[in-house]
Amino acid sequence: MILIISRKQETTTNEVIKWLLALVKKFIRVDEDEEFEIRAKEKRIYIESHRNCFYIDDISSVWYRRGGIRFKKIQYDNPAVDVHMQEHQHWLQDYVIKKLESKKHVNKQSTSAVNKLMVLEQAKKVGLDVPEFYLAEDTAEVVLDKTITKPLTGNITINNYQDYAESIMYTNIVEHKEKDSFFITFFQEKIEKDFEIRSFYLNGDFYSTAIMSQNDEQTKTDFRKYNLQKPNRNVRYRLPAKIEKKTHQLMLLLDVNCGSIDFIKSGDKFYFLEVNTVGQFLGVSAMCNYTAEKAIAEYL
Amino acid sequence: MKYFNLFSDILITKGINRILISDLQRNNSELQSLELYNIIEEFKSHAIEEVLTFYDEESQEIVQEYLNFLLEKEYGFITEKDWDKNFAPLAPEFREASKISNIFMERADLLLSPQLLQSIANLGIKHLVIYCDAALPLTSFVDLESSFSNSCVESIEIFSHYHPEVDQDFIKALHEKSARIYSLIFYNCENPPVEPSDIFKFNLVFSDQSLRLNSCGKVDFKYFDTNLMKVLEALNHNSCLNKKIGIDKDGNIKNCPAMPQRFGNINDIALEDAIKHEEFKAYWNLTKNDILVCRDCEFRNVCTDCRAFTERTHTNQSGLDISKPLKCGYDPSTNVWEDWSTNPLKQKAIEYYGLK
Ligand code: SF4
Ligand code: SF4
Repeated sequence: MILIISRKQETTTNEVIKWLLALVKKFIRVDEDEEFEIRAKEKRIYIESHRNCFYIDDISSVWYRRGGIRFKKIQYDNPAVDVHMQEHQHWLQDYVIKKLESKKHVNKQSTSAVNKLMVLEQAKKVGLDVPEFYLAEDTAEVVLDKTITKPLTGNITINNYQDYAESIMYTNIVEHKEKDSFFITFFQEKIEKDFEIRSFYLNGDFYSTAIMSQNDEQTKTDFRKYNLQKPNRNVRYRLPAKIEKKTHQLMLLLDVNCGSIDFIKSGDKFYFLEVNTVGQFLGVSAMCNYTAEKAIAEYL
Repeated sequence: MKYFNLFSDILITKGINRILISDLQRNNSELQSLELYNIIEEFKSHAIEEVLTFYDEESQEIVQEYLNFLLEKEYGFITEKDWDKNFAPLAPEFREASKISNIFMERADLLLSPQLLQSIANLGIKHLVIYCDAALPLTSFVDLESSFSNSCVESIEIFSHYHPEVDQDFIKALHEKSARIYSLIFYNCENPPVEPSDIFKFNLVFSDQSLRLNSCGKVDFKYFDTNLMKVLEALNHNSCLNKKIGIDKDGNIKNCPAMPQRFGNINDIALEDAIKHEEFKAYWNLTKNDILVCRDCEFRNVCTDCRAFTERTHTNQSGLDISKPLKCGYDPSTNVWEDWSTNPLKQKAIEYYGLK
């Protein structure tokens, strides 16, 4: 039995499920609105929510997509008992999560959220080329037009800011200095690119796409700024074996076995930009006929 | 030395006298000369400078112009020293998770039985086309929509009889309530109730013609569809019937309602069981490469391969009809489009199908 941890209406999850059905693989899907209780029967533990109920040892593989398994918190009136029981529950939950994560998996709840700064540090350590980066509170040291800034957060959208329901924070070039200082911000050397590469990574396999947008001012710094008139070309690409090897090492270090990875190709160099574990990767994959959703379903 | 690299999402289909260049990312196709085809072929095995030496001075200019054209259209790019071999070719496989992806029904109403809805869900059907020879009230459309909320169905197209109730308010109400209906065709309509410029969630067509089920299968330049998934499907399968199921007005299960062979009736057998019939998928793997005339046509990868109405001239060893679609007036050897319905060679087949 496959366990899928996701959110309601999540498109990538829905697409993978279509393939699980086609491959006749059984699965359980857990969404964000579920609260589990940990229980035991005949020396086996199982967890139960209003929708799902399963033995932990019946689960053969786990796909952590989004959200997470949440547990019901039981409180006690007596403070001394409560302190003890909170810890008791904590270790039980920890056990369940660790048991699940020790199975064959595609990503894990505990490591899926990556720290972009740490990822860059680690990428350097494994020998990948990484554009120089630093944190600053003002633009004094920033070299104009040769520096970019982007959010450190996993989620790059802001909801209900000013008049917009949803705003996306793109990568931008710093074009002028700021008079005032500001909240500590991420800056990175801008690389003159030939093109960008986005790889869908699954447990050591790379499905790479070259995103050709160099002909186009609008998408020069961030291909997500989409140009509808003349869309980017997304074509199949093979990263050099040594880049794949180092990146694979990086993913092992991060303990993340599925995600999309961005690079910039500049001359002979492949600059590593970031790893994204929760993004939507199906669009780019489909344009190259990779069918990444099928690869995930087969792996599980 | 400089090298020209053709993008892997550019598909070139060679016809007898010309080629069709299909841009599978930007979803358009254009006709070009065989001369360009030959040059593109030469660029695949020789450096640009080498290719130029194959031609005399005058022709070199033409080659240069072709190259500029290819670059301007972003069909490819230039590299130094060698081709960039890291650009991998497009894998031509077609992968579809659903057992059946399309259903085409001819019905007297839009009321689908619970069993049929269940079968649609079990098969993972994504696209629904209903041809309904009736005047339908608004509630029929709305009820159909709601029977598919929370289902695997992604799109619904409905052909139905126009009637005076279909006015602006009708369309507006449907616009509010529809989610999966993406195309509506009202036929037998003299005066369309909405302006052609009005924008709705769905494609809306009012036709003054009297469409019938056997109006299906017309081949025309304007119906050609350049779309990566459709082209991949056409390269591997029959571009109309693959993963399709049809139900005719009497409930007979077929490959499409206009095909002759029946695989049971929905009143007696579930769709899931009907498709297990050994001949149900017989046409699925017949590609345009197997079809006479079409196999040499530059449009073969973007064209629909109708098997319900053909010229009825040839069958293969397995008994499958491999004749050219009847409703195509194109001749790949002359590149002329003519009216198919008046072609004397087609009259016998036209009569056979009762298309007069
Ligand atoms: S086989 Fe012909 S009639 Fe049937 S659905 Fe296809 S195009 Fe239409
Ligand atoms: S000859 Fe065949 S492939 Fe060409 S346009 Fe006609 S039906 Fe389509």
